[in-house]
Amino acid sequence: MSMADRWNSDKRDEDSEDESEEELSEGYYKAQKDALIFAIQVSESMLAPSPKSDDKKATDDSAALIALKCAYQVMQQRIISNPKDMIGIILFGTKKTQAPDIGRQDSHCYLLTDLDVPAADDVKALRDLVEEDEDVDEVLAPSDQPADMVMLLRLVLHLFQTRAPNFGSRRLFIITDNDDPCAGMKKNPAWDPAVGAKDIYDHGCSIELFPITHGRSEFDTSKFYDDIIYHDPILDEETPGKIAPAKSGDGLGLLHSLVSNINSRQTPKRAYFSDMPFELGPGLTISVKGYNIIQKQAPARSCYVWVGGEKPQVAIGETARLAEGSSRTVESSEVKKAYKFGNEYVYFTEEEQKSIKQFGDPCIRIIGFKDRKLLKFWASVKKSIYIFPSEQGYVGSTRVFTALWQKLLKSKKVGVAWHIARKNGNPQLVAIIPSRAASDEKSGTQYLPAGLWLYPIPFVDDVRDGPETGKVIRTTDALTDRMNKVVQQLQLPGGAYTPSKYPNPALQWHYKILQALALEDVVPDQPVDTTVPKYRAIHKRCGGYIQEWSRVADDALEQIQEGKKLKREMEADEDEEEVRPAKKSRSTTTKDKNTGEDGLSNVELRKRYNAGTLAKLTVAELRSSMGGRGIDTKGLKKDLVERLEQWVEENV
Amino acid sequence: MADKEATVYILDLGSSMADCHNGRTESDLDWSMRYVWDKISTTVAASRKTWNVGVVGVRTDETDNPLQEQEEGSEGYEHISVLQELGPMSMQNLQDLRDRVKPSHTQAGDCISAIVLAIEMIEKLTKKLKYNRRVILVTDGEAPIDSSDIGDISEKMKRSGIQLTVLGVDFDDAEFGFKEEDKSSIKEQNEKTLRDFAEKCDGLYGTVAEAIAELETPRVKSVRPYKTYDGPLTLGDPNMHADAMSIDVERYFKTHKAAVPPASRVVMKITSSDDPSDVPEAANGDEMQGVESTPSFAAVKNSRKYVVNDSDIPGGKRDVDPSELAKGYEYGRTAVHISESDYNITKIETTKGFSIVGFIYQEKYEPFLNVGETCMTIAQKSNDAAALKLSSLIHSLHELESYAVARIVAKDGKEPTLVLLAPHIEPDFECLYDIPLPFAEDVRSYPFPPLDKVLTIQGNSVTTNHRNLPSQELQEAMDDYVDAMDISSWEKDDDGNRTMEYAPVYDVFSPPLHRINQAIRYRATYPTKPVPLIPAILLKYASPPEDLVAKVKSDLEDLIDKASVKKVPPKAKGKKDKGERPQPISGLDIDALLKQPENKKAALDPDNAIPKFKQRVELADDQADIEDAMSQMGSIIRGMVTKSFGDQDYDRAVEHIGVMKETATEFEYPDLFNSFMKDFKTRILSGEFGGDRRELWWKIKHASLGLIDANASEHSKVTAEEAAEFLKR
Repeated sequence: MSMADRWNSDKRDEDSEDESEEELSEGYYKAQKDALIFAIQVSESMLAPSPKSDDKKATDDSAALIALKCAYQVMQQRIISNPKDMIGIILFGTKKTQAPDIGRQDSHCYLLTDLDVPAADDVKALRDLVEEDEDVDEVLAPSDQPADMVMLLRLVLHLFQTRAPNFGSRRLFIITDNDDPCAGMKKNPAWDPAVGAKDIYDHGCSIELFPITHGRSEFDTSKFYDDIIYHDPILDEETPGKIAPAKSGDGLGLLHSLVSNINSRQTPKRAYFSDMPFELGPGLTISVKGYNIIQKQAPARSCYVWVGGEKPQVAIGETARLAEGSSRTVESSEVKKAYKFGNEYVYFTEEEQKSIKQFGDPCIRIIGFKDRKLLKFWASVKKSIYIFPSEQGYVGSTRVFTALWQKLLKSKKVGVAWHIARKNGNPQLVAIIPSRAASDEKSGTQYLPAGLWLYPIPFVDDVRDGPETGKVIRTTDALTDRMNKVVQQLQLPGGAYTPSKYPNPALQWHYKILQALALEDVVPDQPVDTTVPKYRAIHKRCGGYIQEWSRVADDALEQIQEGKKLKREMEADEDEEEVRPAKKSRSTTTKDKNTGEDGLSNVELRKRYNAGTLAKLTVAELRSSMGGRGIDTKGLKKDLVERLEQWVEENV
Repeated sequence: MADKEATVYILDLGSSMADCHNGRTESDLDWSMRYVWDKISTTVAASRKTWNVGVVGVRTDETDNPLQEQEEGSEGYEHISVLQELGPMSMQNLQDLRDRVKPSHTQAGDCISAIVLAIEMIEKLTKKLKYNRRVILVTDGEAPIDSSDIGDISEKMKRSGIQLTVLGVDFDDAEFGFKEEDKSSIKEQNEKTLRDFAEKCDGLYGTVAEAIAELETPRVKSVRPYKTYDGPLTLGDPNMHADAMSIDVERYFKTHKAAVPPASRVVMKITSSDDPSDVPEAANGDEMQGVESTPSFAAVKNSRKYVVNDSDIPGGKRDVDPSELAKGYEYGRTAVHISESDYNITKIETTKGFSIVGFIYQEKYEPFLNVGETCMTIAQKSNDAAALKLSSLIHSLHELESYAVARIVAKDGKEPTLVLLAPHIEPDFECLYDIPLPFAEDVRSYPFPPLDKVLTIQGNSVTTNHRNLPSQELQEAMDDYVDAMDISSWEKDDDGNRTMEYAPVYDVFSPPLHRINQAIRYRATYPTKPVPLIPAILLKYASPPEDLVAKVKSDLEDLIDKASVKKVPPKAKGKKDKGERPQPISGLDIDALLKQPENKKAALDPDNAIPKFKQRVELADDQADIEDAMSQMGSIIRGMVTKSFGDQDYDRAVEHIGVMKETATEFEYPDLFNSFMKDFKTRILSGEFGGDRRELWWKIKHASLGLIDANASEHSKVTAEEAAEFLKR
């Protein structure tokens, strides 16, 4: 076996055990990737400039150009969100024909971007076309003959078959304003678009239609498209309703509605788990599917690029395994898994390993219901999974699920459940929380679908203690009132957090720079960062209130310190009368002004450590230096010194 | 930071410890050692050089201790042996010790003398330094004890700060609720003596059963507070406007996922072959002993090399020189390399800060938006002004039922995150808790139909009387059941009343974490014993409490009745009724169209095989038709693999095989597929398809595209075990 084989096979082993958030696709043997082909109609009406509008932002872009802009946006987004996905663009009804591998020169289909993971050149070519209006190849010219739909569908199927074999999701998006592309054609069973569409579906691909209307025209899907767009009764949740036509009034309106239509379908819906038994009680089980609707997106990892050739190429790393302390290459069959125990290893056989990790089959099992307020704000460890009923495992799941959803909303309750997401997976205790319907005006999350969420609850092992704090210094009513004014002035729109307003600045910047480098553009110098607070607006709206709050705070502080001084003096008096016990309350020692607020600096500590003069510090000085560094401050002076010495040794 | 420790265990190894008592089938020694081994192995696992363990055996056959030699003639130190000198403990020590902890053949030996020895050992090591000093005595109290010096010894222990713990086998303990009947008089006497002794030196005294019961409860490791930010929390920009708010704060972890210990990759170390007798007997993998000390295992290190695709080279891959590699990223399929000096160019420049963006209503936020762990923000230490100001913000948020959204950059150059700040007020403590919020990219827009109504394909909306909507009766049954199953106050308090929350965070231990720790500790101590069962406490919350289930029985039965849910039989899952197949929205009879003579072709087109294969099988008139389609598909796949340049067409082949398997399962012809697959595998492995195609077999294996077993199709003659075996190699 070559080294590459070994590496690959091991990688697979790891993948299969990995508890990572990999999603399951419907057909389990398929790759979890998406291939998307845009088919954009080119015709006189699609190329006509949009009618003039009063809106200043409006453009006179044609429908075809707007569709291309959409495709361009999607392409850029995909490179960031799903770097392994493929995109292709076909123009149909063009004067020119360019359809490789598929005979017929008169198909009037033009393959603008071949189906593949987009390269910088593809992005650039498309950008030149939509932004610079550089149609150098004159591809945006309509043919006299209408496009042959059969040829279009064959081309699409061919691309899916050869470029994206075994992809879990392959979809064709047709963008057109013509509801009857085969008008006037003779029926021919051997040359029927319906057969082409059936082939596409049977190959495991799907077709979605994004109709465009101009002015008052209608788009009648029954004329043609109802025969080639499919409806799957089993997976009816996948296609909730047809897509309403995007209207071309002014250019911008069309772009917006087309973009929002496409965005709503853009991401292939991948289930995180399917056919999951959801036990509401012993003897009552329904089936649900889970989705990662919330998924943290991070820049792809860096890689090594080989620059020794004509074109930079990504180098693929291959790992050989060596036994530590020797240069002996290790065969993968020799590799065992063992646990570190002390400085040594404890070994389990493969079967034992499996049995240790075995906590039962995947499930969501309710162990009871609680008032929602018992779920503490701080009890958070990781993102939640959205679940939706599925009739696949149990008929009747949807109605039972809905009844539970309604009850939880109505009574402000949550379920508590034991959840194992996958075979050999770790169990997690989750709260089951309902999300309101998007139509519900009280909902702060109208961008999320209605359903239930599995919210992981931390285990006691996951909870950390904070540092010791002294006596709490509490606000006064007058001060809180001043702060209330500030808080009331600075509500975010709708009083809710809307994620779509805050793109991840680090992620966007990373790809913006990368794109500029890839396309050899000028590197921009200022990132767009919507997460930066609107300082000017805050100043304008609240500057006065904050000043007032500051004044009140200063007054209150004076009183507090006055009170403290009194107390200290009284204590000092007492001290003279009797020798106070060694145990002083911490709040008085740490608040001792003589020692400064942070104790000594690290540099100072190191100096003293080297000189051996740490022991010359007073107990109060020691305590404040140690408390600030999270070191235990209890005990006698020599203990404190010893602990601080050890800390300096290890940390400075 | 862990303190230094010096712990001496005194183990009673007298012959009476070999007996079993009170219905146990384990000897008293083995039983007591459960506790001791657990403690010692925990120390070993921590592998801290400053944690010292010593072990003294009392009532041993031999006598082996320094006091015996030192004080020639002094009585009382016979039958006491140092089994392990006080020092750091390794797994090797642990194993050596295991061999030495055996019941002896003697009854003689004085526990109190052993304690004196333990004190000597501790003093010798720890001198006057800061240590946690402990002596733990485990005995059955069946041997005579000389109690004359107890007063002096306990004084000495108190002075030296040594804590004594006495654990007795079946000692009476009223607090724990244990009393042994028909106790020997000597044991009764000794129990009293030892209890007095423990009390005199402020030590602990208990019965072994209690100690063992405590082992069941997992220990939660406490971690030092970790500061994630310190600096000002601002509202507005103090550098821009003098009136901006700024409070000095510190932020710490509140929750942080406790890591489950990972397994490391190791190999058996092969000893140099010069001396054949030197080869460890366990060298041939499978007979490996449960525990191996370091010399026989070696960690596995990775050595990486880099290749690029090159279609001019057989195998398609070429090794490249590491000097020709630059770091970079992929933009789509374009490789973008970045020179060393520009490496941070894609990183956003940020400065450390924690600044409020705005405020939202608590009721407008849902916890399932959280994307991670919680932190807590408190005022800077000893800063009254900060404490007061932060308190006003906390109380204001509380009064206005609001949260704050803030942007935090933990350190200069770190990527910014948005967090949601919530007020938290206790009588003696106040803080802001925060959780990270999702960005625009982190929320995917997946469309789902509404739950409370059904949209028909015609675009109508139905809100009642639909099989997917709950009936009034179902909704009521659900309401009753959920109310009955409430565990908000199901846990019993000390008085036995149900007033406390069931399964609160502080009661639930992480099962994977404690399970693996338990198994590792146990295996290290008892290398030859099988892995123990999962402790019940880790499975406590795996199902609803039994008494609750009993209480809600009738509500649940009613709900089950009203729900009338039917399990879909496994067989029916694959096979779809005709009405349930995807079909054109228009309802066009596509089958009729396909049956037209123009569309019926005898041969499958290799370029369009999957759809045509499916259609052939669906519309087949008889079995011969299906057999023909299957065999054609088989030869298309074989042809595809033969022609594949390198691994180019493997994914395509896998897809074809997948469709073939699916179809064969659905239409219940498993044998047709199985015979193809068996033949196909033989051909791959014998290299019949033009070269080494084993990579394809890996792919097939990974996609689990082996034989159809009887679980998947009842017509299959292949068992699940056979199918698994088939895939294995």
